[in-house]
Parts: sequence; structure tokens; C-alpha cells
Amino acid sequence: MFWHNFKYTLKVVLRDHALIFWTFAFPLILATFFSLAFSNITASEKLGLIDIAVVDNDAWRNDEVFRKAFETLSDEASEDRLFRIQYVSKTEAEQLLADDEISGYLLLERSWFSPQRKALIEFLAPPPADVPPVIFTAKSDINSTILKSVVETVAEQASIIETVIETDPAKLANLAYAHAANLVDQSSTHLDYVMIEYYTLIAMICIYGGIIGMVAVNQLLANMSMSGQRIAVSPARKSTLVLAALCASYIIQLVAVALLFVYLIFVLHVDFGANLPLIILLALIGSLSGLALGVFLAATVKATATTKIGLILAIAMFGCFLAGMMGITMKYLVDTNLPLLNRLNPANLITDGLYALYYYDTFDRYWGNIITLVIISGVMIAISVYALRKEQYDRL
Amino acid sequence: MPNKTTTTTKPKSATTAAKTSPNLASKSASKSAAKLATASNVIEVCRLTKTYKNPKNHQTLKAVNDLSFDVREGEILGLLGPNGSGKSTTINCLLSLLKFDKGTIKIFGETMSPSAYNLKRQIGVVFQEVAVFEELRAQDNIDFFCGLYVKDKAERAKCVDTAIKLVGLEDFRKFYPKQLSGGLLRRLNIACGIAHKPKLIFLDEPTVAVDPQSRQHILDNIETLRKRGATVVYTTHYMEEVEQLCDRIIILDKGKIIASGTNSELKKLVKNKPVKQVAGPTLNDVFLELTGKELRD
Ligand SMILES: Nc1ncnc2c1ncn2[C@@H]1O[C@H](COP(=O)(O)OP(=O)(O)OP(=O)(O)O)[C@@H](O)[C@H]1O
Ligand SMILES: [Mg+2]
Repeated sequence: MFWHNFKYTLKVVLRDHALIFWTFAFPLILATFFSLAFSNITASEKLGLIDIAVVDNDAWRNDEVFRKAFETLSDEASEDRLFRIQYVSKTEAEQLLADDEISGYLLLERSWFSPQRKALIEFLAPPPADVPPVIFTAKSDINSTILKSVVETVAEQASIIETVIETDPAKLANLAYAHAANLVDQSSTHLDYVMIEYYTLIAMICIYGGIIGMVAVNQLLANMSMSGQRIAVSPARKSTLVLAALCASYIIQLVAVALLFVYLIFVLHVDFGANLPLIILLALIGSLSGLALGVFLAATVKATATTKIGLILAIAMFGCFLAGMMGITMKYLVDTNLPLLNRLNPANLITDGLYALYYYDTFDRYWGNIITLVIISGVMIAISVYALRKEQYDRL
Repeated sequence: MPNKTTTTTKPKSATTAAKTSPNLASKSASKSAAKLATASNVIEVCRLTKTYKNPKNHQTLKAVNDLSFDVREGEILGLLGPNGSGKSTTINCLLSLLKFDKGTIKIFGETMSPSAYNLKRQIGVVFQEVAVFEELRAQDNIDFFCGLYVKDKAERAKCVDTAIKLVGLEDFRKFYPKQLSGGLLRRLNIACGIAHKPKLIFLDEPTVAVDPQSRQHILDNIETLRKRGATVVYTTHYMEEVEQLCDRIIILDKGKIIASGTNSELKKLVKNKPVKQVAGPTLNDVFLELTGKELRD
């Protein structure tokens, strides 16, 4: 019975032109449209300036590397300007942060190139790892994340520079400058918002894929379709049939997702980073959440299949919009003002997961997204199972 | 629901029918029982009642009202009734698709339930609405539904083939439902319901919106199925069909049996014979006299 229905689910779904269009063709068309629309966006069109503060203490003034790096990144004359910096005292910085004037502030407890430190390095090489080079405080939004990653990179580079300095202190300024330029370069590609919009496409196809499962399950349910009534009066077990339909749908969904990945990576050259297994895991879980949404709507909403397709399209579209499909600003706005909305929005969880994989070295944020996706899917599936257990209806 | 208003004000003819029905029902039942004394009951329905509750205005509608009847092995039973009289609801209750308020339903001597898989295996259903997959060819549609009953592939292939030949779809095996005419589509709908060779077949208005040729074809099919040993419950509001096909007829109105018996038994019931009638009343006259002439929803 399982394979019988598995086979026929594939047959039915693959013959359904509307279904194939929405799950296979539409995301590809949208991706192409994106690439055309963004092809003339230059590297200078990046994020807006990020407001930060620097605590103007001795450590900061003595630290050639940090000073140089941040001067470069906030150079008004530069096209690649990233930060707008206010040099303030620690209390002022705290106040600015509290007033939401800045995304974060930088506080160097000790400079890397203070005379004391130089002396220390001469005795102890490598430098003690347990002392953090900088302390900065910020909210957890994207701007402060950028600040964090810049600081981390500078600190990392600083320790390399240090050893170079040992032999040739004169190179310091040049190195710092080169490094800062490199940072700007990285940020201009990394923070390219086109990237995140491509990520939302993956999210979209994962959710859209739920249409397949929805259609496949809908046609098995007596209270939803005529074919379902036929099935209900047959001796076939509904659980087996639904399971077969879901397996077949999931496979088709994954093929569609894989196709979009191939298109994005090999044709449009979108960079997803190098962590392939985790990207695949995210695609699997993301598709599962789409499937769960599909079954959920099939089992619980009394409407025609066409209406339910419309519902999934609307949910996916709106979810992707909130996740930054039409511009990353939306994601910022929702992330900062209505964080719960995006934390429950599967499209955002998938987008953010891909983003986190790409931008962060740690995986906390990635796993957070994965776990939330699993929980949301689990809840939808549990409710669906409850609804699906019903075998006799009050009305048809 | 317009039906609501009509239930309270009974038309004259319906009142007479209600008066005559109790003794008629028992009389005809005993007669046909004598005729088919050896045959056992395939279906036994006892005091079946089903109400629909309208969640919006909290009104209830008794679609099936204290219905009791039997279906004997090998017979074709006609369930006749105007629109909204509860034919489909009755069948869906018998099939355990619908919950009902009261009553018992036994099929082949066993209580019917959603998990009575052994009973379901022997039942075939042709629903009032066409229930096929648009995306599957005619033959695949039959194979899919037959596969819910018959696991063995070779056996299933034979069943599908027999069903295709029975309904005369040989030339349309590879057609998609959209490419079939209304009559052919109805025949496909029937084939999907009976390919697994059920012993008990429910047909809910299988001939709506088909031309006389196709209808005759479908009626012949049902006759053939009966000859192969199946018991048939057939609903319709076409009198000629019932006259031609059914061994016994139950006339339903507003969820109640208002008359039952054989064709000729029912014809004796007509009191106010139309003047121009020379050859005696037709079943149509019987029907109109019993159920009244007001329009239904
Ligand atoms: N899902 C439903 N919800 C509410 N009322 C319903 C529902 N289905 C049927 N009814 C009502 O129950 C009554 C019986 O309907 P049913 O479909 O059983 O009649 P029928 O004899 O099959 O009619 P037809 O000849 O039109 O097919 C009707 O009054 C109808 O309005
Ligand atoms: Mg009906």
C-alpha cells in the first residue's frame, strides 16, 4: 500500500502543472529576476553607515593597529566608509548605547602596542590567550555583529602584526592600513544585501514545497476531497497512505531545492560559504518545515486545494518579505522591533541560518535557527496528526 | 436553508403519504420477504438518525430521521427521493463516513465501523460527485483505486481490465479525465468504484447529466454486476431507471421512508389518478403523489 500510493503521489504531483510551476519554475524565475535587477548595483551601494563610539583612553591612543583600522573604516572621504565614530568617555559611551544612538562601543582595556605590552611580548611569546584584547558592548543586531566581526578580525590580525613588528616596527602603519582596506573589501562583498535576498529564495522554495505535501495529503482526506471519500471507504489504512504521500512529496521538494541551489551556485554564482553538510542539513530541515505547514493546512483548514495553495504562497511570500527578500532593511526592522515575529517565521529562520553559516565562525545562531525550525515543524505535525486521526465526520 | 421552512408546513400529499406509509411499509416488507425468503440480509439498518448542525446559526436539520430498512443479498434496491431527502447522507452513514446520532448499521451481519476493514474490502462505492484524479489517465485512475483493495499486481491488472471492458472505456484507457465526455467520465467514475469486484455496491446517482445512450449503458452495467452476484443499492431521482432496474424501491422524503415495495406494489398506492392516464399510473405519478409537488433545494 505504501509503495502503491508513493508511486501514484509522484505521478499525480508531477502531472500537476500549477504545482510544478510554483515549486520548480517560480523560484528559478525569481532568482534570475534578482540577478538581472542587481547586476548593476555597484559595490559602493552597501549598508548605511553604522554609528559606533570609541572610548578615547590611553590604550586606544597607544594602539596603532586598532586606531588605524577604525580611522580607515570611518574615513569620510572613502567610498568604503563603514562606521561613523564618536570618540567619547566610557560613561558617555554607555549613555549613547542606552539611548540607542550607537550600535556599540569599543573599549580597549590595554593597547596591543603599548610599551608595557611590547616588553611583555619580549618575555612571553605568544601573548597570553586568556586576556581578551578588547571589550565592547552592543545589542545583538546585525550592525553590532558587523562591529564585532571587524573587531575580532583586527585583533586577530594585530597578533600577526605584532610578530612582524618585532623585526620591523616601521611596517606597522602600512600593514594596519592594508589590513583595514582588506576589511572594507570583505565587508563590501559580505554585506552585499543581494546575498541575503538569494538566501530568502532558498527559504521561499523550502516553504513553497509544502504545497506538494498539502496537495498530496488533501486528496487523501474524506472531509477535504472526493478522492478522499473514495479512499476512506476502502480498507487502506490512512496512516500508511499519508506517510507515503509525505515521503513522495518530501523527495520532490528536495529535488526542487537542490535544483535552485545548483542554479544559484553555478549559474548566478551566489556564495553560500563552505560548510556544505550544514547547508544541506538546513535545507532538509527547512523543507521539513514547509512540508509540515503543508500537512497542517491540508488536515486542519476546510477549504479547496486551490485556496490552500494560495494560503501557502501568501505565507511564504510574506515570511520571505519579513526575512529580507525585498530588501534587507525589512529584516533589520523586524529583527529589532518585532524579534518574536521573525523568530517564529520559518522563512526567516532558514534565511538567517544560511546567513549565520556564512558570516559567523560560531554555530550558535545556526543551531538556534535549526532547533526553532524543528520545534515549529513538530508542533504543526503534532496538530496535523491529531486532526488526521479522525475517521468519521459530522459533515462532508 | 430553504428546507427549514418546508419541513414545518407539510403539503397535503405528503400528509397522506405519511398516513399510508406505516401499513404500506410493513405490508410490502412482508410480501417481498416472502418472495426472497431464502436470501439473507446484506445490510440491516435500524432506526438510523442523523442531524446536521449548522455552526453559524445553531440550527439543526434532521437529514435522516429514524430510518430502518434491510437490503437482501443479490437484489438491487432503489433509494428514491427528491433533492435533499437524505439519500447521500444515508449512504455516507452506512459507509461510516459520517457520524450519526442514533441507530445501528450492520453489513454482512457485522457492525459497520471506520476500522471494519474486512467489510470495507467487500464494498464498492460510486459517489454522486465524480471522484477521479485529473492528473491520472483513465486506466491509472482505476488502477489506483483498485490498488487500495487488491494488492497483487497480476490480479489487479485483470480487475482493471475487466472494469474497463465493463464500462466500455477500452478506447480511452490513456485518456485523462479532462479529455472524456460527461458520459465517459461517469463511466470512469463507476469503473473506479467497482473494479475490485465488490459484493456490495453503492451507487449514488451515477447517471446524473448523461445522455440516454450512456445512461442505458450504465444501467446495463449495473445489471451485469448484479448477475455476477453483487448486491446493489442505487439512488436516483429518475423514475424510469428505478422502474427498469430495481427489485425493490424505498421512497425517502425529508429523511423518512414514506413508502417501500416493489414497482407494482408502489403503483397500487396512487389514489388520485390523472384523468388522461390510460395505462395506469407510472412510477413518476407515485413519486409525485407521495412526495408532493413543492420544489426542493
Ligand atoms: N454537509 C452538510 N451540512 C449541512 N447540511 C447538509 C450537508 N449535507 C447535506 N445536508 C442537508 O441534508 C439533507 C439531505 O442531503 P442529502 O445530500 O443526503 O440529500 P440527497 O437525497 O442526496 O439529495 P440529492 O438528490 O440532491 O443528492 C439536505 O437538506 C441537505 O441540505
Ligand atoms: Mg445526493
